[in-house]
Amino acid sequence: MAEVILKNIKKVYPYVSGEKKKRKKGGEPEKKTNLQITDEGVVAVQKFSLDIADKEFIVLVGPSGCGKSTTLRMVAGLEEISDGELYIDGKLVNDVAPKDRDIAMVFQNYALYPHMTVYDNMAFSLKLKHMPKAEIDRKVREAAEILDITQYLDRKPKALSGGQRQRVAIGRAIVRAPKVMLMDEPLSNLDAKLRNQMRAEIIKLREHINTTFIYVTHDQTEAMTLGDRIVIMRDGYIQQIGTPQEVFNHPANLFVAGFIGMPVMNLFDAKLIREGQHYFVELDGHRVHLSEEKCARLAAKNVESQDVTLGVRPEHIDLAEDGVSARIDVSEMMGSSVHLHLSAGDRDMIVIVPTVDMQGLPHMGDTVCFSFKGNVAHVFSKEDDKNLEF
Amino acid sequence: MKQNSLSGERRTKVILQIVLAVICVIYILPVLTVVINSFKQNTYVKSETFALPNEESWNGLENFIKGMTFGNYPFWKSVLYSVVITVASTALILVFTSMAAWYIARVNSFFCKVIYFLCVFSMVVPFQMVMFTLSKTADKLHLNTPWSIPVVYLGFGAGLAIFMFVGFVKSIPISIEESAAMDGCGPVRTFFRIVLPMLKPTLISVGILEIMWVWNDYLLPYLVLDINEYRTIPIHIQYLKGSYGTVDLGATMALILLSIIPVIVFYLSCQKHIIKGVAAGAVKG
Repeated sequence: MAEVILKNIKKVYPYVSGEKKKRKKGGEPEKKTNLQITDEGVVAVQKFSLDIADKEFIVLVGPSGCGKSTTLRMVAGLEEISDGELYIDGKLVNDVAPKDRDIAMVFQNYALYPHMTVYDNMAFSLKLKHMPKAEIDRKVREAAEILDITQYLDRKPKALSGGQRQRVAIGRAIVRAPKVMLMDEPLSNLDAKLRNQMRAEIIKLREHINTTFIYVTHDQTEAMTLGDRIVIMRDGYIQQIGTPQEVFNHPANLFVAGFIGMPVMNLFDAKLIREGQHYFVELDGHRVHLSEEKCARLAAKNVESQDVTLGVRPEHIDLAEDGVSARIDVSEMMGSSVHLHLSAGDRDMIVIVPTVDMQGLPHMGDTVCFSFKGNVAHVFSKEDDKNLEF
Repeated sequence: MKQNSLSGERRTKVILQIVLAVICVIYILPVLTVVINSFKQNTYVKSETFALPNEESWNGLENFIKGMTFGNYPFWKSVLYSVVITVASTALILVFTSMAAWYIARVNSFFCKVIYFLCVFSMVVPFQMVMFTLSKTADKLHLNTPWSIPVVYLGFGAGLAIFMFVGFVKSIPISIEESAAMDGCGPVRTFFRIVLPMLKPTLISVGILEIMWVWNDYLLPYLVLDINEYRTIPIHIQYLKGSYGTVDLGATMALILLSIIPVIVFYLSCQKHIIKGVAAGAVKG
């Protein structure tokens, strides 16, 4: 139970011996990611500032190599902080050892001690604190009860399934009643069904343990369902911080728009037209008036008419009598809805149509017209991919 | 057609089994010869080397008693020195090399790479190349007693042990050690409470290999130790010679049998761990 404050955190991985020389000799090294490479080394995280409130559930999300795990490991104390300040419960902990930060971490690969029983795994940290035996026993059994692993307490980790091992790993973390609970992609080693089940259990777990959570994942569904707030990262930088609803409804840039939401947002080359205090987007001659709220934001920023990238989510596009025409390439029946893959000119897009709204299934090759409302259209700058409303 | 190929396959299997059986016999023959001859009278050892003892050649436990009481150096002393040297050397090798291997595997520095390559390199240098300089150095550093010679063994055994330990440590996910660090362990506690127990299969296999080597080693103690004062079992056996170079083969065989029994028993009891340890680290589990 603690507030966590990250101020301008930066992480640079210095070159290992010989690597810098090689780099100077052979020029620029081959880039595997878009991370910034300086004379000091590879910059994995930079300008990371975030205030995490007490008992808040924060999710760091982003593609592989974006720096989310590095950030989490810096909070854990497993990585040195190159620059910036990290406060836990008001105390600067940059140079505090992991064991003295009063935090617990659940690892992606469980990281259980293979030579110890489940009970000993869970009791290990408490034993190191010289806690009385009866107290340890009570805490371990209480945590085991919450996670429904009481019957496995005498087993070794190798005798457990993946899901059970992950419960033990969570149990090992919660017995300590840490100030901050860190979770590094804890569900990514589980199959889809188990992942859904464990996700629900983590939500329930929050009711039992009142602590601050920092959760890392690359799965946007996990991020949306678990987080009070989501931090979306890319190439070491924060792209947007907000509640799941905020990042979904108001993506700060094209990256966030594309990363959050499944299927991904449809993007079109369109024109933004300003007429006084009113804004329109024009797509293939079809004009849509933006909502009052959006117009007010654009006007406040004095955005002028320009070419833009228009983003509309598949679930916000309607098939209509009048609108932009497109051809159906593929039709996927998903049960409650149909995913239509359309091509309009040289653009590919997806439209989700609820089956209740359909009068007969459309056929592949049919031509349809689509439209969208002004309150669900997102306009992004062609220059820097930023949402023009921000 | 199919039947033909099947019978051909069976024939190949039978031939292979015969060949392997012959190889097994060739391997076991020296040990068997030692066992047979240790119960035979000296004259029959030379004339009927491969024959089983009969009423005429049977010598009972005479050879064993003779071997143990021969000369003026007590056999129990040799056993004691062999045990001390073997146990101390193996313990030293296991403790120090496992720690060194953990450091080498986990610290990605130029220094560690150099140390590792030096260790691997030491495995390819034959002992005969360094034995004279080594015996001089050991003398100067007073490493010529059963209590100090384990240090020399540590130096010679470190190469293989570090090589095996590093391979295994690299296969252990580092997150387990990070987890220990978060649970409240410092480096020393992490090593002894978390890493060392996980190294158990490799500890056993390295231990067995080192025990077999040190227990049976003849040349190193012969060169380094003061022979008049300290003799290990292999050296003691070598002194079973009468005047004019005559050798009591019966007694020699008896002592060889006595010296190999502990190693064979030890090996058989830990055999499954050797296989586990050698295979450990080969694939990620």
